[in-house]
Amino acid sequence: MTTAISIRGLTKKYIDVWQRQEVVAVNNLDLDVEEGEIFGFLGRNGAGKTTTIKMLLGLIFPTAGDAVILGKPMGDNSVKHLISYLPEETYFYESMTGWDLMDFYGRLFRIPQPERKRRIQICLEKVRLQPEAWHRAIRGYSKGMRQRIGIAQALINDPQLLFLDEPTSGLDPIAHAELRDIVASLKDEGKTVFLSSHQLADVEMICTRVAIIHRGKLLTTGTIKELVEGERTEITVRGKELANGLIDRLRPIATSIEPIGNDTLKLSSNDPERVSTLIDLVRGAKGQVISVMPHRRTLEEVFVETVRKEELASAGAAQEEGV
Amino acid sequence: MAVATEKRPAKIIPADVQRRGRGLIAFIVVLLMLAGIVQHSAVDPYRKQLDKTERNEALALGGLNSEFLLLPLLGFREAAAGLLWVRCDEFFHSGDYDAILPLVRIITWLDPHAANVYVTGAWHMAYNFTDSTGERSDRRYIAPSEALLNEGIRNNPRIYDVKFEKGWENFDKIKNYAMAAEAFQDAINTPANKEVDADDYPYGAPLKVWHILAHTYERMGRIPDAIAVWNQAIQISTQRLKQRGGRTKDFADFELHQAELHNRAEDYQRYFDRYTSINHDHVNTSPYPGVEWPFGGSSKPGPWDVSFSATVTVKRPKVLDIKGYFNAADGARIDVLLEDWDYKPHIVSNTTTAFAVDPNQTIMMDSIAVRKAEFEREIDMSKDPKMYSFAHEYYRLVLSYDPRTTAPHLQDRFGWNGEGMTDSDAAHVVVDNTPEMLGTKMIDGFGGTGPNWDGRTIPVWDGHTPPKDIYPPSQPRRLIMITYKLSRDQILGLQPITDKDIVPNQIMPLGPGQEP
Amino acid sequence: MFAAIYAIAHQTVREALRRRVMWIFLVTGIFLIAMGPVFGFLSPRDSQTVLRSLGLAAILLAGLFTTIVTCIYLIPIEIERRTIYTVLSKPVQRFEFVLGKFLGGFAVVFINIAAMGIVFLAMLRMQEHQIPPEMVRGVIFTFFQMMLLAALTIFFSTFATPVVNFFLSFGIFLVGNLSSVTDTLTTSHNKISQIVGLAIHYLLPQFGNFNVQNQLIHPEEDIVNMSVYMRNNIAYALLYSAVLLALAVFIFDRREV
Repeated sequence: MTTAISIRGLTKKYIDVWQRQEVVAVNNLDLDVEEGEIFGFLGRNGAGKTTTIKMLLGLIFPTAGDAVILGKPMGDNSVKHLISYLPEETYFYESMTGWDLMDFYGRLFRIPQPERKRRIQICLEKVRLQPEAWHRAIRGYSKGMRQRIGIAQALINDPQLLFLDEPTSGLDPIAHAELRDIVASLKDEGKTVFLSSHQLADVEMICTRVAIIHRGKLLTTGTIKELVEGERTEITVRGKELANGLIDRLRPIATSIEPIGNDTLKLSSNDPERVSTLIDLVRGAKGQVISVMPHRRTLEEVFVETVRKEELASAGAAQEEGV
Repeated sequence: MAVATEKRPAKIIPADVQRRGRGLIAFIVVLLMLAGIVQHSAVDPYRKQLDKTERNEALALGGLNSEFLLLPLLGFREAAAGLLWVRCDEFFHSGDYDAILPLVRIITWLDPHAANVYVTGAWHMAYNFTDSTGERSDRRYIAPSEALLNEGIRNNPRIYDVKFEKGWENFDKIKNYAMAAEAFQDAINTPANKEVDADDYPYGAPLKVWHILAHTYERMGRIPDAIAVWNQAIQISTQRLKQRGGRTKDFADFELHQAELHNRAEDYQRYFDRYTSINHDHVNTSPYPGVEWPFGGSSKPGPWDVSFSATVTVKRPKVLDIKGYFNAADGARIDVLLEDWDYKPHIVSNTTTAFAVDPNQTIMMDSIAVRKAEFEREIDMSKDPKMYSFAHEYYRLVLSYDPRTTAPHLQDRFGWNGEGMTDSDAAHVVVDNTPEMLGTKMIDGFGGTGPNWDGRTIPVWDGHTPPKDIYPPSQPRRLIMITYKLSRDQILGLQPITDKDIVPNQIMPLGPGQEP
Repeated sequence: MFAAIYAIAHQTVREALRRRVMWIFLVTGIFLIAMGPVFGFLSPRDSQTVLRSLGLAAILLAGLFTTIVTCIYLIPIEIERRTIYTVLSKPVQRFEFVLGKFLGGFAVVFINIAAMGIVFLAMLRMQEHQIPPEMVRGVIFTFFQMMLLAALTIFFSTFATPVVNFFLSFGIFLVGNLSSVTDTLTTSHNKISQIVGLAIHYLLPQFGNFNVQNQLIHPEEDIVNMSVYMRNNIAYALLYSAVLLALAVFIFDRREV
């Protein structure tokens, strides 16, 4: 499998004009995206996702590092024939109609007529934009329609690699589902998608691999399966004797203990082998096992956990430095 | 996490952009040098030639109201000049003449090619600043008027208009016919252009200039030269009529042509009426029928004795009563000139913001009609203290009669040069030998040198060079004149004016207000 | 290359023509021109001069403001509204973007001046029963002057905000109008005046070269071959515009959007 995007040591620093401080937007990022995958790029607001994409597209320039996109160095104009970009907000010319906008972008790709007309038709049908809206000005479009036209313009050149920044944000559930499916279908066409999104449920559903960045730094990367690995089992127990020293005996074995009321405890453990031990201890204390629930981790939980861990680590490091 | 730093972080510019950047810098430098070369050698020299006018933009801008200031600053001088000229027109129609001059000055600075402004402004100065009688114009404005016209000619050498106006002012107002002839000739020499009345293209200055030039030569007593001009004008108008289908197509041109023929015939007629019988004693070899000398008697009557006399009294301060006797037919006019004894025209420079006149100068010109050989007129200068300040100590009062400016029926008797008039008091007869004022010698015995004109030989005039050489003018004009030297006290009535105040006559410089 | 430049220019013209302010300037200019015959009460020569000078002045004034107000926004508004992202992420070189924007602005200026020029010449035809070739030249000359101004404004727009750009462009237009003065300064005895004169005269665009309204309105009164002067000036305008556009490309190549 060949690499669609290969990022090495990519760094972007700004001077914050108001605070007169240097801000590191992207910090020494190393990342690879394979061809044919839908790659999720996750991070909080201000984490550096859009900055990274803009560097890859040549809209801004890195402070350090480089990247290779489809075999060409970052910023190379010729590779732009093979890639496309849907920005976070749909920044389009409001006075143009959907069709005219598509035609404009088609001309930027040097797609000649009548091929251009044919492609516009295909793309607009693909994103399920109503034909009545094709010749209406974009300023009259709903959020959903704008996102559809946004994806359509990203498809007009039949790209190998798409950069999609929040393609489903702000959409109603039906539009959301439709557009998610459209994005998912791109993989079946052999396209590579670099997807930046906060919709973790979508990412979990359609992405092959994800990366999580925070404050410009890559925290973790891997397949969904790898990241959410490690089931957790929750055991709810009840008993009057449970308080007598039992909690102390449970604590080293359980991952977490949560009292619920006077005589009920919720235990959890990430290790399936310890579940039995816990159950035995509870039974030995004449407690009652109410329920045993295996609980699968979500990407959201992984994300929150990873980011929180990083924030704590950074705070600790800052404290040590006396900042 | 955030690190305080003074240095702006570098950015990595792609290699192809850097390469292009170097090429661009070289391209920019080369193009900038080329642009500089074009500016220096192909634009600036031409612009200097285009703008060979006298103007003072800084003063023009300084004299403008704020609403007009922005236009010239943005380079729209002509639009500002145009709008100011409209303003001028309003002032003119409302009678606010004082407001006009500063505007005229500013307009001509903003647009030195506004020929009409020069012409109208000069006319306005020469004619419209009158005293309370409404008849006497302020002669102090003659010099600034001339200066404005000269500036207008320098800035607009390729049109006839301003030159024509200068000629007219000298012809009509100043009576300097030499200067008038020069100006009209200059106007005629201006090459043809399409902007002039379409009718006159491609002949250049319109025929009216030729006509007035001919009349100027008549006034100067240079009849052969006048006829030469009429001949040339007739040739042009004949050609033009032919081109335009004759009478049925162009009635105005036909009438003009007829007028030219008439004027030429009249010049011949008058010559033969006035001089042929004197010279040839009933032998009339001209194509025109001989006319008996109107006063009978000897076929060679002598000059007519006009017996000029005058009395000047001061009725009230600055109010003169001038009366006297002049033995001539009705229609004669006695010219009156009262000016500072040392009057000099005020020098006007083009950096003044208005055409200011010297408030301490006094000059008044008027004329008195002769009725039944007598003349009388009260000249009241008391109501216009600004115009007649009488700030100096002594004044010159000249009462004169000029045969060149008199009516034709009197010229028939006195001649173009005054050969036919005299005065029993020889001191009243003044012979003007000023070279520019000499006329054609046509009879013997009156001071002219060279041969008499034979009434036939007309200089061939090419339309460009003044026809001087065939019959070089040599006949001086003869004026009848009385000159007084008066003091301020006399003008104010504090002392009487008597014949003792009469001083020897002298020929003044060519017209008051003439540029030195 | 030309396809992208043309597409961007075409889109720019569409967007610019939608802006009401451009139509306001155009209508104002036409109104000023139409006022010319009002001065018909003057003598024929004077009213001709007023009509011609008002007409040329109106075209220049309206053209000046249209050019600056249109061109100051062309690039910054794309960056501000972020529509530039979807353009530059396509295979469009930055210089193609700059040139496309310039050509679009230039086309708007052309439409503006052509519209006013047609009305002006029609007025002259009514008044003078002919279309004076000098006035046609005057309109063409104004057009090239505005082309130079458009290039200047586009250059500033690659790094200055629209407000700053307005004053910079307008200011340099005024300073550049003092060509006769700066030309004189280049031969001044005062060293500082000379250096200032040289710098302004040869480094700044000389808009004063185009101030020949007087000679065009009064063509009978000048001896110099106006065609040669105009040709040389148009060459200057083209050269200097190329300098400004090259500078704009240089700066924009390094600009982060």
